[in-house]
Amino acid sequence: MIVFVGLGVIVGGAFTALNHVLGPKRPSRVKSEPYECGLPTEVTRTFRFGISFYMVAMLFILFDIEVVFLYPVGVLLNASDSVFVLVEIALFVFLLLVGFVYVWRRGALNWR
Amino acid sequence: MIETPAIDYGALSPIIALVAGICVVLLVGLIGPRGRRGLSSALTLATLAAAAGLLVWQLGEPDADLVAGALRSDGLSITIGLIVVAAAALVVPLQLRDPAAEEAGFGETHTLLLGSVLGMLLLAEAQNLISFFVALELLSIPLYVLCGSHRSRSRSLESGLKYLIVGSIGSATLLYGSAFIYGGSGGATDFTAIAQGIGADLADDPLVLIGIALVAVGLAFKVSIAPFHQWTPDVYEGAPTPITAFMAVATKAAAFAVFARFFITALGPSADQWQPALAALAAVTIVVGNVGALGQDSLKRLLGYSGVAQAGYMLTGLLLGTVKGIDALVFYLAAYMLINMAAFAVIAVRERETAYGDDITAVQGIGKDRPALAWSLTISMLALAGLPGTAGFIGKLFLIEAAVAGNYTWLGVFIVVGSMISLVYYLRVVAAIWMRPAPRLAPAMAGASTEAAGEPGLPRRTGEPGRTPSGAPSGGRCWLVLGAILAATAATVAFGIVPSPLIDFSAHAGEGLASMLGPG
Repeated sequence: MIVFVGLGVIVGGAFTALNHVLGPKRPSRVKSEPYECGLPTEVTRTFRFGISFYMVAMLFILFDIEVVFLYPVGVLLNASDSVFVLVEIALFVFLLLVGFVYVWRRGALNWR
Repeated sequence: MIETPAIDYGALSPIIALVAGICVVLLVGLIGPRGRRGLSSALTLATLAAAAGLLVWQLGEPDADLVAGALRSDGLSITIGLIVVAAAALVVPLQLRDPAAEEAGFGETHTLLLGSVLGMLLLAEAQNLISFFVALELLSIPLYVLCGSHRSRSRSLESGLKYLIVGSIGSATLLYGSAFIYGGSGGATDFTAIAQGIGADLADDPLVLIGIALVAVGLAFKVSIAPFHQWTPDVYEGAPTPITAFMAVATKAAAFAVFARFFITALGPSADQWQPALAALAAVTIVVGNVGALGQDSLKRLLGYSGVAQAGYMLTGLLLGTVKGIDALVFYLAAYMLINMAAFAVIAVRERETAYGDDITAVQGIGKDRPALAWSLTISMLALAGLPGTAGFIGKLFLIEAAVAGNYTWLGVFIVVGSMISLVYYLRVVAAIWMRPAPRLAPAMAGASTEAAGEPGLPRRTGEPGRTPSGAPSGGRCWLVLGAILAATAATVAFGIVPSPLIDFSAHAGEGLASMLGPG
């Protein structure tokens, strides 16, 4: 446990430090702004939301959660050789695929 | 090692057919231009036909608990499922020339419609608080979108937003109530387990009482029982007419199915304690709906209020908790489906032909030039009022008979008085059809709506753009629509004269819950 925590701290710290030392630094005005999920930090009254970002974000969340669901099934499938589980998960992925094809062909993934 | 669960594919087959159909219709909607109306509609109808066929097949099979008891396929779920599927099948031809469907795309519209049907089928089968809620959401969410699908019309968007907000409040209330029931019954989600957990005496557990009240309120929102009906006329008026028709009929059928299953299966032992509360709601609903409809000029608003009143009649059948009551409820739902589909279809046709929208002016004087439409609307109005010779009369007769047998004679009296009040506004429509002269602009075919927009004295909702966004001949007479209208009307009359096939049909519903019900 201690070894694990220690390794985590050391490896994490080492990479951060290396990055700090070796990484190129070209600061610009945009880069020095605080990070706000792709939105400008200061908005005027007439500001318009970029809808396309939300579309991608929403789709990401949808498909992301399905992957979370796939993971335990993958572990289970490894432990058992059940054809039933395989077929079930194939059906699940197929239904997702239908949704994905729809989203793709309708152009929701095009950045406008 | 994972054990393969036993799956009753036969009983699940209508649901599987619908899911497959949804995938196909969604993908077909992607091919070619947006208006793939022929192919998309044909595939939707084929899916509905397959689901209907499988449901009819299941009607002969024994009742079955599905998915570890989360769903139950029995007489009630199958009869309600058939009503819902029939309603959707009648909506599909109506969508053909609908500006909302043209605008939103046929693939999408039909996919959402089928998704809602799927939710309704699941809701009618739900036997567990979780599947109950999930099915209710699956039913509602596509409907929220469909209500707002006429995007160039602000009233449609308003209707969608209103329905979303009110519907979400209803769902949240219901979910909150289920949590109380879950706690009060000692951690049961299954309806039968809840019945055991709660027992027959509700008074000693205020938490359970709160839970039941909240669930009842949530359901009352969905079936528009007063005083939770305020959204109904607004949403009905704003939504595209085919969607209004579907919503008015199918949502009510599915929600009443789960209403009945929940109150009779889960709360059956304590029936005499919740019956008076529901009876009071039914009485209030009958009065509020019928009085509210009196001053309406918009036909869709009128039918919205009329739907509220009908919900009150149907609630009477439900709360009796008898086989007779449930049979009468399902009979009434089936008759109501036929009548309402015909009425809304006529409104939709006139909406596209004239510049008056759904105002009562649109049907003035159609007796002369459109006798088929005129007769259909007349028969529908008389059937809704419950005049003899129509299925509406038989339905009311059964409801009153069941109410008297179930010792709720006073509610039967309410139904009669309500029907008498309702004649005032139904006959007003009939009078407009036959006795008023046609408005000057009446045969305003495609393109005429633009010149009519400038006409003073027209109802306010006519001038909105986007009535006919595509070049479709919107004024043309679509024989499929006319066929659907005439079929529904003919069935209304036929079942009014020879009701026995529909009686046999609705008797399956009572059988499904028979073990839980009193003989009455």
